[in-house]
Amino acid sequence: MGGCAMSRSAKRLPRSVTIALSLTACLLGSSAVVAADKTGYYGYGLKATPEQIAGWDIDVRPDGKGLPPGSGSVEDGEYLYEEKCAECHGSFGEGVGKYPTLAGGEGSLRDDRPHKTVGSYWKYTSTLWDYIHRAMPFTQPESLGDDEVYALTAYVLYLNDLVEDDFVLTQENLSSIRLPNEGNFIPDARPDVTNKHCMKKCRNPADIKITSEAPAYVPEPKSEPVATGGSMAGAAGKPVFDQYCAICHASGVGGAPIVGDIEAWAPRIAQGMDQMVGHAVDGYQGDAGMMPAKGGFSQLSDEEVRQAVQAMVEASQ
Amino acid sequence: MSKQTELDQLLRTVALSSEELTGFDRRSFLRNGLTLLGGAGLAAAAAADPGMPPNVPPWTKRLGSGVTTDPYGKPSPFEADVKRRTVEWLTADKIASISFTPLADLKGIVTPSGLVFERYHAGLPAIEPQQHRLMIHGMVKRPLILSMDDLMRFPSTSMIRFLECPANGGMEWRGAQMDRLQFSHGMLACCEWTGVLLSTLLEEVGIDKKASWILAEGADGSHMSRSIPMDKALDDALIVYAQNGEALRPEQGYPVRLINPGWEGNTCVKWLRRLEIGDKPWYHREETSKYTELMPDGRSREFSFVQECNSVVTSPSPEKPLTKPGKYWVEGLAWSGRGKIKRVDVSFDGGVSWRPTKFTSIVLPRALTRFGLEWDWDGSTALVQSRAVDETGYVQPTYTQLRDVRGSSSIYHKNAIHTWKIENNGGVRNVQIS
Repeated sequence: MGGCAMSRSAKRLPRSVTIALSLTACLLGSSAVVAADKTGYYGYGLKATPEQIAGWDIDVRPDGKGLPPGSGSVEDGEYLYEEKCAECHGSFGEGVGKYPTLAGGEGSLRDDRPHKTVGSYWKYTSTLWDYIHRAMPFTQPESLGDDEVYALTAYVLYLNDLVEDDFVLTQENLSSIRLPNEGNFIPDARPDVTNKHCMKKCRNPADIKITSEAPAYVPEPKSEPVATGGSMAGAAGKPVFDQYCAICHASGVGGAPIVGDIEAWAPRIAQGMDQMVGHAVDGYQGDAGMMPAKGGFSQLSDEEVRQAVQAMVEASQ
Repeated sequence: MSKQTELDQLLRTVALSSEELTGFDRRSFLRNGLTLLGGAGLAAAAAADPGMPPNVPPWTKRLGSGVTTDPYGKPSPFEADVKRRTVEWLTADKIASISFTPLADLKGIVTPSGLVFERYHAGLPAIEPQQHRLMIHGMVKRPLILSMDDLMRFPSTSMIRFLECPANGGMEWRGAQMDRLQFSHGMLACCEWTGVLLSTLLEEVGIDKKASWILAEGADGSHMSRSIPMDKALDDALIVYAQNGEALRPEQGYPVRLINPGWEGNTCVKWLRRLEIGDKPWYHREETSKYTELMPDGRSREFSFVQECNSVVTSPSPEKPLTKPGKYWVEGLAWSGRGKIKRVDVSFDGGVSWRPTKFTSIVLPRALTRFGLEWDWDGSTALVQSRAVDETGYVQPTYTQLRDVRGSSSIYHKNAIHTWKIENNGGVRNVQIS
């Protein structure tokens, strides 16, 4: 460590001063001496190699730093979007249910009900590329190739009338695609309100009116421990369902039968467990929609899928 | 033996014998037994309340279960209704959603780990701690990969700090609509957090002089990312691996998360896998599309990190109504991302007059602080409010003051004085007043 050794510059000072300085440094602890640079002081962990960093360094900045080489067209994006995005975001970016709307809302930000979308609100195109790449599709993050991300970004720009239908987005041109709302972001201005500290006669009682009232709180029935019905497999499948299947089977996304909808499940249950599990494991194209193999969660074992199906069946009959 | 003593003894026998029965059997047994005794309202009351002296309750007269029956203890089964709840209509699904802390039932200032509100963007990842790594790289001399064992060798620090989602109460910018305290203020918790100061790790990797921002990124499927200014990183940001004395709960970022005390909960990235040191912010989705505040002029505030001074009365509240006129201990919580709470006043008349309260907890910077005062309720309608002042002198504002500046479309950072209306039957209603 050497925190208490005499420094080079100290040697030019008279000996008594040098000793005093060194002692002070030692008494204050080593920080006073080595504060200039403690890099590697503890030496724990491993030095990250460029290859290791590249595997995780996915972020992209507005200036284009972090974008990988590649390109994608609106045309390619349209195909991918229909396949991977439309079931939540809608074919025109209008959003399904409470899933985010991607397009529209131009000029609505000062309205009573502003409509915030990529075109009306987002600041930078790089954010779109970065977000699709880091977090989409919702059920399969980091599954898209770089060119696919370029294509989908191009298509969402197209849905917002920001590029033409023959546009091709590339590593080189992405930073030059500016979004309409870029100039409308300002720094935090808080504290921005000043309330007076007053204790007596702070306002006229006659001015006080109730302007809004929430519904009355009705306590839920007290819970009592109840023995849960159902099989062991169904019980084991419940967490799998919650974690993986509920995304679609609790909301009905993509035409998925909603758990608890007895009518929707009856014909499926009539086919028998083996067929239902087969469809869930291998994937299935039905009239109402598509069940991806294992819902897109390839890490699930066949047994986990079976247990989840069992749990859904038990909750839907 | 007097008739009264005889009766008591008989009643105890009836009560104890019935302990061996359950549910309907027990109730009918008791009813039949008491009918036999005949004509004793007093007797019925005594049997229905085995804990009331002179009765001796059954648990006092038998052995309980032994140690390690439940090796990791749980709350009493009678507390089963003290739990996190969600509001279904808020989000599209439960995977990217939020649940709320049951503030009305909590005491003191520390939130039990299992009751801290949850916020996921891609569900709760199941992380194996031995496989988890934290990478620190970018504008540094010595990019590092740390295992959890590595991380725990660094000097350790603990601090009690609140954690609040900036959208806490955001559903009420346009008016009161949440029926209870859990939903009006429950994106809030306060824990003891233990870990390594981020500044220690930054010294270890040796940051470039030009470095001014840090990207924090999670290992969950959303790879949640936020840009953190270097000043905060060097001030009190903590890389946390423990909460309330034990390993972080999975819901709170196990095995490691960032805590930026007093700042938006969203910046406190959970399941932390990566810190990149840079010289500009990244403008990612959670700091542009979300967590920015739309103002009435159509412009939006960005990087609004601090959670300003706020407070709420937790009792009475919709979940804790009054029962009959008389003396009540009124209490609540106050907090400020800018430091310590200096004082809290409470009004019972909608803000015409205010009474000072006293602190009933330790007062820590950027932590929940509990206040209370006695109130003699005369049974009439009242408008109960709390108003906190922090050590910077900032006084918690009214809705009118906030809306005058920010309109009602900004979603985040609503810290207005909150009003509970006490109905004359003691019920408590969430209202807003002019």
